[in-house]
Amino acid sequence: MIPTAIREYIKPTSIQEAWAVLMERGLSAKPMGGGIDVGLYATPDLRIVVDLGGLELSYVRGEDELDIGATTTFAEMIESSRVGGYLDGILVEILEKVASPLQRNLATVGGTLGSAHPWSDVIPALLALDAQVVVYHERRQTLPLAEYFAIRAQGERPLITEIRLPRAPVMSACGFEEYSKTAFDVAILNCACFVELEADRCKTARIAIGGTPAMAARRPTVEESLTGARLDGEAIDRVAEIAERSIDARDDRRATAAYRRHLARVGVSRCLRRIARKLETMG
Amino acid sequence: MTITLTINGIRKTLEIEPGEKLLGLLRREGYMGVKIGCEAGDCGACAVLLDGRSVNSCLLFAAKADGCKVVTVEGLEQDGHLHPVQEAFLDQGGVQCGYCTPGMIISAVDLLSRNPSPTETEIRRALSGNLCRCTGYVKQIQAVQRAAAVMRGDR
Repeated sequence: MIPTAIREYIKPTSIQEAWAVLMERGLSAKPMGGGIDVGLYATPDLRIVVDLGGLELSYVRGEDELDIGATTTFAEMIESSRVGGYLDGILVEILEKVASPLQRNLATVGGTLGSAHPWSDVIPALLALDAQVVVYHERRQTLPLAEYFAIRAQGERPLITEIRLPRAPVMSACGFEEYSKTAFDVAILNCACFVELEADRCKTARIAIGGTPAMAARRPTVEESLTGARLDGEAIDRVAEIAERSIDARDDRRATAAYRRHLARVGVSRCLRRIARKLETMG
Repeated sequence: MTITLTINGIRKTLEIEPGEKLLGLLRREGYMGVKIGCEAGDCGACAVLLDGRSVNSCLLFAAKADGCKVVTVEGLEQDGHLHPVQEAFLDQGGVQCGYCTPGMIISAVDLLSRNPSPTETEIRRALSGNLCRCTGYVKQIQAVQRAAAVMRGDR
């Protein structure tokens, strides 16, 4: 068995209690959803795990807008008709390829955001979908997902309680691409694109690229290059080229920077072509 | 710390370490059908049912199973009769060296409890978290198809 230094297991019954424990115990305590990453990446200074499983945060609510509780598992999301009905089931399509069925019965959406792995497939997808997170950080607050990561980068630890997805406009679609060495390995690069059309032109474009190998982020220059344009082959090729130049790619053991830049071009191009086909059938 | 859980239908109150995983606890309690493999959630040899859903017991904190129903491969037989999935693995030659078999069977039981008539693709996807090093990945699929047919009653 892999040894850990964990000496205490706390299961709070309110978010305020969880927050108080985390504040009081500092970096020796960690919040836990399914517990996969807390166990696998336990550092020697981790002494206390705070299991959020007693906070009744496993749910999917809403019709057009979706509220997803932080401890909802990937399997529960996949099986939710609400998630399945959101933007043509894009999240189900993505989650069905994340990890294994055994892990998807444990992994939670809040946990995956809290772990903030740069290779996460869920994070770029939620960024492209303009997700917000409800957090407890001294008080209850709702933040855009990117802002949550910015606060985390400053060393703060807002506690996620819910993920919110906005109502998807009628003429909108999302596409996702992920490239990895094997189906089970983490991404060499992934990207998620969201487009809303108005009068045949892109009213809104959100493009997030992850695994560069830095943390996933939206790419404003790529998005701006698509806004106002028709979603045709010429525009897609032009935007994909900008995507290739937009990423902060680096070499690591999985791939070279040059290959990642190439994947960014291919991924954005394929996502946008898929979106164009979807929107064509809707229009 | 102390937890109370049901293992294979028997309610137990057990003393555990706060950081230990369910895999270690189950084997300490004598459930050796739960295998130690990668201990990183990759191989599925340690799969058990937690409230009816298949999970990697190597990833699950034992404390998280407090109040839950855990079923290991030993708990699938009823009244001295093997579970139809176990029978089918034997009949179809789905048991090779046997090390991955308990985990494969647990994943298959979870699948068939939710989907009595899975396609071959659905079976392959459901078993995708269970690695077999003897492999072929053919006999196990046939075994699940056979078990599904038996459980539906169309022998």
